[in-house]
Amino acid sequence: MRVLVTGAGGFLGRHVVARLLVRGHNVRAIVRPASPRPSWGPDVEVFYADFRAHDNLISVFDGIDAVIHMAAATSGNEDVQFTSTVVGTERLLEAMSRTAVKRLILVSSLVVYDWARARGTMAETTPLLLDPYDMGAYTIAKVWQERVASSMTGTHGWDLTIMRPGFIWGRNHAEIAGMGRRFGPVQLMFGPFTRLPLSHVVNCADAVVASMENPNSSGLTFNVVDADDIRVWRYVREYWHRSGRGGIPVPLPYVVGLGIAQFASFVSRILFGNKGKLPSLLAPRRFQQQFKPLRFSNDTLRAKLGWTPPLDFQACLARTYAPDPDVEYNAVKRT
Amino acid sequence: MRKLTSVVIGCGAIAREHLAAVQELNNVEVVAVCDLSAARAEATAERFRIGKWYTDYQIMLHDWRPDLVHITTSPSAHFSVAKACLTAGLNVLCEKPITVEYRDFLLLKQLASENRCMLMENQNLRYHSSIRHIQHLLSSGQLGELLEVQIYFALNVVGPASPYTDQNAPHFGLGLRGGIIGDFLPHIAYLAYVFTGPVIDLRTTWAKHTPNSPLPTDEFRALIRGQRTNAYAAFSGNSRLNGYWVRVCGTKMYAEANLLEPPRIAVRRFRPGEPAVMSLMEGISESGAILRGTVAAFFRKLGGTSSYDGLPQLIADTYRALEEKQEQPVPLQEIDETANLVDRFTNPELTL
Repeated sequence: MRVLVTGAGGFLGRHVVARLLVRGHNVRAIVRPASPRPSWGPDVEVFYADFRAHDNLISVFDGIDAVIHMAAATSGNEDVQFTSTVVGTERLLEAMSRTAVKRLILVSSLVVYDWARARGTMAETTPLLLDPYDMGAYTIAKVWQERVASSMTGTHGWDLTIMRPGFIWGRNHAEIAGMGRRFGPVQLMFGPFTRLPLSHVVNCADAVVASMENPNSSGLTFNVVDADDIRVWRYVREYWHRSGRGGIPVPLPYVVGLGIAQFASFVSRILFGNKGKLPSLLAPRRFQQQFKPLRFSNDTLRAKLGWTPPLDFQACLARTYAPDPDVEYNAVKRT
Repeated sequence: MRKLTSVVIGCGAIAREHLAAVQELNNVEVVAVCDLSAARAEATAERFRIGKWYTDYQIMLHDWRPDLVHITTSPSAHFSVAKACLTAGLNVLCEKPITVEYRDFLLLKQLASENRCMLMENQNLRYHSSIRHIQHLLSSGQLGELLEVQIYFALNVVGPASPYTDQNAPHFGLGLRGGIIGDFLPHIAYLAYVFTGPVIDLRTTWAKHTPNSPLPTDEFRALIRGQRTNAYAAFSGNSRLNGYWVRVCGTKMYAEANLLEPPRIAVRRFRPGEPAVMSLMEGISESGAILRGTVAAFFRKLGGTSSYDGLPQLIADTYRALEEKQEQPVPLQEIDETANLVDRFTNPELTL
């Protein structure tokens, strides 16, 4: 297939491109104009564009069979992220609607779920966030990115697959929000035995490409996690041990952290009504989104696509912390 | 009593500030919002529980005849949108600068006068609590005779990951006179004008401190001689200490405020007596004022008050003027004079 990949220069994007090449696909990669070309060979066609500024995107769809859309902002204020992630998606998909391309794979995130209402195991049936505006900028943008893609899919009759990875980690991206917060040498862990929805970048890229290749994935949504057997304490310990960064671990039960956040929220409401603004650790819904102890399942991926993560946790660790920086990238080619 | 109605054109970050301020008013209803991005318009409508959203402002203005149109688009779109509104006889509250070119402002001014419409600019720093405090010190005589105003606005626009230097999507400010700094000049101009009055003489200097940035300039200084007093105004795009400091010097006192951290304000007043003792008392007094202001600023942030400290009052006064059919809160002539000052900041040949 000839595949258009947006966000191709990003952390996940580079691995998806590598995986597509291994699988024999032709790749047209969109990277931002000011970004250097990643170390791809001539077999990757690079198109430089920023969806916020580029007016004519129709030509990037010439000869394309499927689109893997990963472009999104991961930092910046709400306006910056909304413009990059949502308005950018809107512009890309408006251009797509004027072409014959029908296949779209959107890489979203588990943050679109309503973690406060989630119970037991987080699955694709978990309720979505309906009122995201008191959440962080990234969450608001991802919720709206999905809404835009779903709405335009409904209008144009596309084949849409939504992938919702958990914490994507890998080389140089091993520090994840689920570890807690670091204050100087102190590492606060909220719920040290909470299971982490980890998705190693190699596994995640494999799942994205597998869903694109499989026509059964059309119209479906998949949570992308490797497994949920790794808990915060172990992940932090491995991170410290293998990265050489130590710290003073301070475990705090999840309910204590949530209780503090709820008390702070209560005081804020008394003092400031609904206008109060609290840091994410003291905002109960945002706290839950980061640390709520749930189980995470990839059952739908297994059942519908027969997918299993190619790397287990030990292999992921080995590739993430390998002394040779090319090991992880090359791993994509071997898997 | 009939509620006043309004619409908002442009749904970016500043629009949220406008909408939050309007929601505090009991006598105003925002009936629709508009943005070129359907998702942004719909998200804004959902967030603020507004009934209708549009992607074409002309269709919106065909469907509604609001008492006030908030124009919160990027500056390059202000002129055409404001012109359409004023031509239709609608009152306008526009983000600064109302126009990129001064000659376009004069056209809008004429249109507003002919159609008896309000043409307000968001000059929210006039309503800033610290500025009002300083004005009170001045009007009550505590500050003595006004000698000088110093305005120093520092915002690190050249630092890493700055949206102002993002080469993937050039910032709208690059299309303004003076480049990115042009986005901040209206604030500097009207704030200086508040104290100096009409400008008699002006000297400016522009510089580029960081050589490898895409910005044409990143430092600006101006000396303004006004009818009432003189002002020194500066913008630094290189300082890593962001702040908006205003110091007003009088014969009996100086007052200094950082407008990004209201209501922190420090005053130093003349005290007769033994210099060493007075110096100690002054230090204690100043420290106390800074500490009180810092604690208050911290709680204001927790309370959700944004850095647009004066905007709610400006918007409230604008609607009150509409309701009571009075003159707009900032007279159009003063908006003209500050627009003219911005034009002179950026046109060295116009300075005397």
